[in-house]
Amino acid sequence: MSQARKQLAIGDALAQVGAAGLFLFSILAAIPGSLRHVRETLRQIWFVGAMSLVIIMTCGLFVGMVLSLQLYYTLAKFGGTAALGTVVALSLFRELGPVVTALLFAGRAGTSITAEIGLMRATDQLSAMEMMAVDPLAYVVAPRFIAGVVAMPLLACIFNALGILGAHAVGVSWLGLDNGTFWGNMTANVEVWSDLVNGVWKSAAFGAVVALIATFQGYTTPPTSEGVAYATTRTVVSSSITVLALDFVMTAFLM
Amino acid sequence: MNARPDHNPDQPPATDSPAYVRVRGVRTVLGGKTIFDGLDLDIPRGKITAVMGPSGTGKTTLLRHITGQLPVDAGEIRVDGRNLAELSRNQLFELRETIGYLFQNSALLTDFSVFENVAFPLRQHLRLPEEIVRNIVLTRLQAVGLRGAAELMPAELSGGMARRVALARAIVRDPGLMIYDEPFVGLDPIALNQVLKLIRTLNDTLGITSVLVAHEFAAVRRAADWVYLIAGGKVAAQGHPEELAERDSPWTRQFFGGEADGPVPFQYPARDYAADLGFQAGGA
Amino acid sequence: MTQPRRSFQIGTGLFILLGFAALAYLATQTTSVANYSQGDSYAIKAKFSNIGQLKVRAPVKLAGVRIGSVQSIELDQTTLDAVVRIGIERRFDEIPDDSAAAIFTSGLLGDQYVGIQPGGSPVMFKDGDEVILTQSSMQLEDLIGKFLVSGDNSKKSPATDASSPVQAQPENP
Repeated sequence: MSQARKQLAIGDALAQVGAAGLFLFSILAAIPGSLRHVRETLRQIWFVGAMSLVIIMTCGLFVGMVLSLQLYYTLAKFGGTAALGTVVALSLFRELGPVVTALLFAGRAGTSITAEIGLMRATDQLSAMEMMAVDPLAYVVAPRFIAGVVAMPLLACIFNALGILGAHAVGVSWLGLDNGTFWGNMTANVEVWSDLVNGVWKSAAFGAVVALIATFQGYTTPPTSEGVAYATTRTVVSSSITVLALDFVMTAFLM
Repeated sequence: MNARPDHNPDQPPATDSPAYVRVRGVRTVLGGKTIFDGLDLDIPRGKITAVMGPSGTGKTTLLRHITGQLPVDAGEIRVDGRNLAELSRNQLFELRETIGYLFQNSALLTDFSVFENVAFPLRQHLRLPEEIVRNIVLTRLQAVGLRGAAELMPAELSGGMARRVALARAIVRDPGLMIYDEPFVGLDPIALNQVLKLIRTLNDTLGITSVLVAHEFAAVRRAADWVYLIAGGKVAAQGHPEELAERDSPWTRQFFGGEADGPVPFQYPARDYAADLGFQAGGA
Repeated sequence: MTQPRRSFQIGTGLFILLGFAALAYLATQTTSVANYSQGDSYAIKAKFSNIGQLKVRAPVKLAGVRIGSVQSIELDQTTLDAVVRIGIERRFDEIPDDSAAAIFTSGLLGDQYVGIQPGGSPVMFKDGDEVILTQSSMQLEDLIGKFLVSGDNSKKSPATDASSPVQAQPENP
């Protein structure tokens, strides 16, 4: 009985993944049609991007500060505090920036995308668009997807910049590391393309994943208030798992 | 009901005048449940046709068939002479541009003001100068009596006002066919009368063919020219509302006469009552 | 109703601008790009018998102040020395031409850099000059090796002076 149920659950999960994959194709197919709705896309970049700025900037600052603090004490044990700037920058650019931003993005923008589309489904707004001969994939889903792909890397860069500033504040202004050492060591060891820009690509991929899951959950949610609530939760859970798994795969094979 | 002296109560629909919507032998199975089984009906041009029936008989499903949102499993549906099954997605969208649809819950776009909601179909499909858009939208809002509410957001509207805005949006492109899905649900008597009057006026002045799905027979008999009663996947009865109300059939008696039990059972199918309470098992 | 639309577009534009500004800031301030364009510079050459872990774009310092960076590292095929081209910013143009160059390590595990020790010549370095006095990189392995060798014959080698942290290491059997 429980064996059968387990198989059923696995089957359900696979079916979800498959459906999300197909949904990705229909989004991609709808993107040419959504080019007519540039204004709507810009509006969505504003909603998912600019509206996430406060949380991204605050968290970036604190992550940078705590990273600096922790690494300072660890590096001090080996007499390697000079490497603080390098280690902070590399961990931020390569991992923490893209990943933490994606998780925050899923919580802040992903949930609101799911809830918004889910409510549009529940209140027949999507059907109303279809009846007005407007493709909701092109008008509602694709702009949000594009906005996610565009906004995520920008948010990750802002997160990284604030993180570096936070690390500098703690490492140099508070713990008394030499300013020149901090920057000099960093600039000597951090590469633009292999470290910084690779992280940007990563975050663009994460943006696509989170936006896909968020729009998919919203679009396919049962049109009830429970349905929307569950879909919102599922967005956070699935995107967190997918982002972290994808992070491992991308790091292992692409970087 | 005396607002339409020109109406001929004995005229059967669609036998002599070409029907706007023609439904033939439609069979639909949804989730293992047979919704329609050999459904035939015609929506005559320029008239208001009401589709009634108990909850769950697939009235909304029928509307989704007519608008091509849901394909039929068997049978044929023609709208304005075109067979829906043969239309491509683009042709279907073109067809929908000629159909106005009033949703049960109005379905106004929450992000846009009343004005932008009504302007939405125009902006999406036509490149009109702002001046003309403004004029069209304001005349439609005037028609539903809400020109003064143009700058409000949907959240600020009452249910009746929202439905009138949705109506203005549905007619903004001069549709040939208007579909009303439960237009009276949740309205207070004043709002109900306003919507009723608008449906009647639109039909009389613009000659729009209308399909009306509703439960409220009192409202329907004041608006509709012809009534279909759907039950058990088929048309159970049809006729002019006044005549149908008088007709002596178990369906019409239960539906229009408001009897609790009849062909639609009051009790959901269940096991034997006494057995369920455990009387037989206890041997009492 | 065109007003809110316009403000959306401006806001979105500002957001995108902010994102790219952050990217540009990171690229130019925190990565090796920061070492490329230090403005106008002149190059001098220095030959080392061993450069250790010195890398291109490593800093060049005088009295601890960064004055330039390593531009290229090549091998001289005839002498089998490493030829390091050093770019020095144009504003530091008063460096005597008998100054010495040495390769140092910042901290025990830090990166290596080129340190310039100023001489007393009245003639200053100019573009294309070569540093005559050079001191190669101090190799930790060499130091340990010397220490092990000299450890047997009591303390007589001066080489162990520079390797005081290493002395704490347990002796290898």
